[in-house]
Amino acid sequence: MKRVYGMAIRMVLASLALMFATGAGADVFVQCPGDTDGDGVIDDFTDPEYLAHPNAVCMSITGGDGFINMADTTVTGGARGRQLYMFGFADVTGVPPLDVIDVGTTAAEFPAPSIVVNEGEELYLTLTNVGMAYRPDLDDPHTVHWHGYADAAPVFDGLPDVSISVHMGGSLTYYYQVRGPGTYMYHCHVEATEHMQMGMLGQLYVKAAQDQLADGTNLNGFIHHDGYQYAYNDGDGSTYYDVDFPIQMSSMDPEFHDASEATQPLPFALMNDTYAMLNGRGYPESINTAELANTENGVVSQQQNALVEANAGEKVLLRISNLSITEYFTLMSPQIPMRVVGVGASQLRGTGGADLSYKTNSVNVGGGQSFDAILDTDDVAPGTYFLYTTNLNFLSNNTEERGGIMTEIVIHP
Amino acid sequence: MKTETDTALRHVSALRRIAASILMLAGLIVGGTAQAVISGTTGVNFDLTAKEGYVSMGDGATVYIWGYALDGGNVQLPGPTLIVTEGETITVTLHNDLAEAVSITFPGQTDVTTTGADSEGYLAGEAAATGGEVTYTFTATRPGTYQYHSGSNVGLQIEMGLSGALIIKPNAMNQAYNHPSTAFHQEYLFFLQELDPHIHTAVEAGLTPNLAERRAQYWLINGRSGPDTFFDDNIPWLPTQPYGAMARTHPNETVLMRVVGAGLDVHSFHTHGANFRVLARDGRMRETIPGVSGADAGLSDFTLTVAPGQTYDATWSWRGEDLGWDIFGHAPGDPCEPSGEECDPASPIYDHGKAIPVWLPEQQFLTFGGFWSGSPFLGQEGALPVGEGGLNLDGGYFYMWHSHIEAELVNFDIAPGGMMTMMIVEAPGVPIP
Repeated sequence: MKRVYGMAIRMVLASLALMFATGAGADVFVQCPGDTDGDGVIDDFTDPEYLAHPNAVCMSITGGDGFINMADTTVTGGARGRQLYMFGFADVTGVPPLDVIDVGTTAAEFPAPSIVVNEGEELYLTLTNVGMAYRPDLDDPHTVHWHGYADAAPVFDGLPDVSISVHMGGSLTYYYQVRGPGTYMYHCHVEATEHMQMGMLGQLYVKAAQDQLADGTNLNGFIHHDGYQYAYNDGDGSTYYDVDFPIQMSSMDPEFHDASEATQPLPFALMNDTYAMLNGRGYPESINTAELANTENGVVSQQQNALVEANAGEKVLLRISNLSITEYFTLMSPQIPMRVVGVGASQLRGTGGADLSYKTNSVNVGGGQSFDAILDTDDVAPGTYFLYTTNLNFLSNNTEERGGIMTEIVIHP
Repeated sequence: MKTETDTALRHVSALRRIAASILMLAGLIVGGTAQAVISGTTGVNFDLTAKEGYVSMGDGATVYIWGYALDGGNVQLPGPTLIVTEGETITVTLHNDLAEAVSITFPGQTDVTTTGADSEGYLAGEAAATGGEVTYTFTATRPGTYQYHSGSNVGLQIEMGLSGALIIKPNAMNQAYNHPSTAFHQEYLFFLQELDPHIHTAVEAGLTPNLAERRAQYWLINGRSGPDTFFDDNIPWLPTQPYGAMARTHPNETVLMRVVGAGLDVHSFHTHGANFRVLARDGRMRETIPGVSGADAGLSDFTLTVAPGQTYDATWSWRGEDLGWDIFGHAPGDPCEPSGEECDPASPIYDHGKAIPVWLPEQQFLTFGGFWSGSPFLGQEGALPVGEGGLNLDGGYFYMWHSHIEAELVNFDIAPGGMMTMMIVEAPGVPIP
């Protein structure tokens, strides 16, 4: 519980932002082998540090606050739906270190910038805490928790109780040797109930090393060719796909967000999520392919959509996850069956190799769970199909019907 | 800015805080007393009494409950964990001190005979209000993790606390079932339930609670809400909640998790540190060839759905391999501990002598968790600012195991708390009692 301050505290916002912008007390420090100017982009491939880590990939993100809009436009009558204050991450890869605080302040994105890496890479992920400019009474640290990273060491697991977390103005570079293909997720773990309700959630998935095999490799009778992709290192092509789409479910309680914005006591016990979303948007925004700017400061804070598109006959991998902190959601594909090939970033195989994959029209996904499901469109006529939650009360944007966890699967001829 | 744990520990009531700090200094919170075996009561004849009493929540609140007491002692939440061995004939005698009829049903046990019941009951023969008695007898046929709970006025009586765990061990030592694929080094119980204090308050006041408006506000593991789950078994200031939930292991050892869905809501239980592998559900192994293959058909996952009434057995193991740096902080010339493989460049666990590839920030940029040893290396401690850390005396690696419905990580309006505990991976050689 946070102490209650008056709204007038926002008056100090300008001076606080100025302090950060001038770098007082701040130490943005992005670590990335072969990056000579500290912006998180490898620019010197002859750098000895890079040569020692030739599989390095780098990403630089900030933790702070910002705004998004919900999808209930007919209720609000405006061009965009209800505005919500949020905490979140923003991508500042490529931003010079002296500009990171400035660019990252009030620039939170929902969902957080996606982290997509290949098995065998080394991920250098720098988190800089830019502070919550609209809540200058807060001095919360932040972390990144790679949810599901096997054999994690606490130093890079992001659980603040057992580890270190980074203060405002500081940077912490997380190091991950990328293993285990599959669908994970990431989030801030500091004061998890609050920071996750406020929106510090994102997609994270690992592409299989099997994608990189030499053309013509025989996988137990399945011939691999350049460009083929697999959900897992299956050894037999059984998790082959043509296109993949991350589908992350989440939900928000607008009263909680409004209380946070207004520096009021937070309603933990009364938490009641009424905006359910796919990739950070309720329907119909879920099928709008435009990147969306929020109505508070114009930051493009909702960059992702949830439209699934493929050509008839293609195999479509849905990387399904749920980071709602209040709800189980059942995700239904009523016309096109899903073959579930993995859960929890682990191929559905028994310890002796038995095939445990199964066909279904629906998956029941709890908070912190992921499913890798392949849509086989061989016998599917071109057209538009639906993907939605059968928790039908969440087919809404708060009080407005026809919204929530719903999107379209468009099969082109 | 303090960490979650520090903040949570501040929320225990004043008296308990004093006791807690004294005991923490004595190292009792984590310093070597988490049991590698499951606390409970063993034998073949059990004498339980249904009675009223009180439990304490992580925010200091006191909640009125109904529960099962062992041998006429304290009521407890959950009821006594009954630990029996396959093949034994088990007799449970239930006395009723409550003002309404009560009973016990044993889901998964097929040959339960009831003697002396005062009334037929709903799911089981009942002991009458205020002084009734009933006896149940069954053969512990199949090894596994089960629960027992009241079969009377069940919606209310489960909420009030009338449930417990039943563990049937096979004759083989250190196996969950009669197959070597279920072998383990340590075993722990995670008995998940939740309660709505408004219902308990109404019952205590003699009012009829409105179960239709039930909304849980406390989330428990083994009868305690965080951070009380971190404390040892049988701590004196939680006399009706004798079971802690801290778990400990070593790298490459196998932990058996016995998980019970004992409440009325579904929970999503996340294991930091590594995936678990399901062995069995409701006391039945996941087998491709029944009776032959052993538990070879369970899935690997990082979050387990635990629905009301279900039980899961799963194994969990943390290896600390292939991280790209040496978790022991060895220099290249140091001995190859714990195994020679560590120094073999051809081995997947070859990390010997490799430094962490990034600089960690200076202290002024960091917040430190109470369970942070000050060092990123297993079994080591590092410098910390005055007043920070201090809850990790052996340099273990701590992993939170918790509900990933994070709304359940609170105690009423106080965050954090709720359905959380810790798994500690201790350095090789650190004893686990």
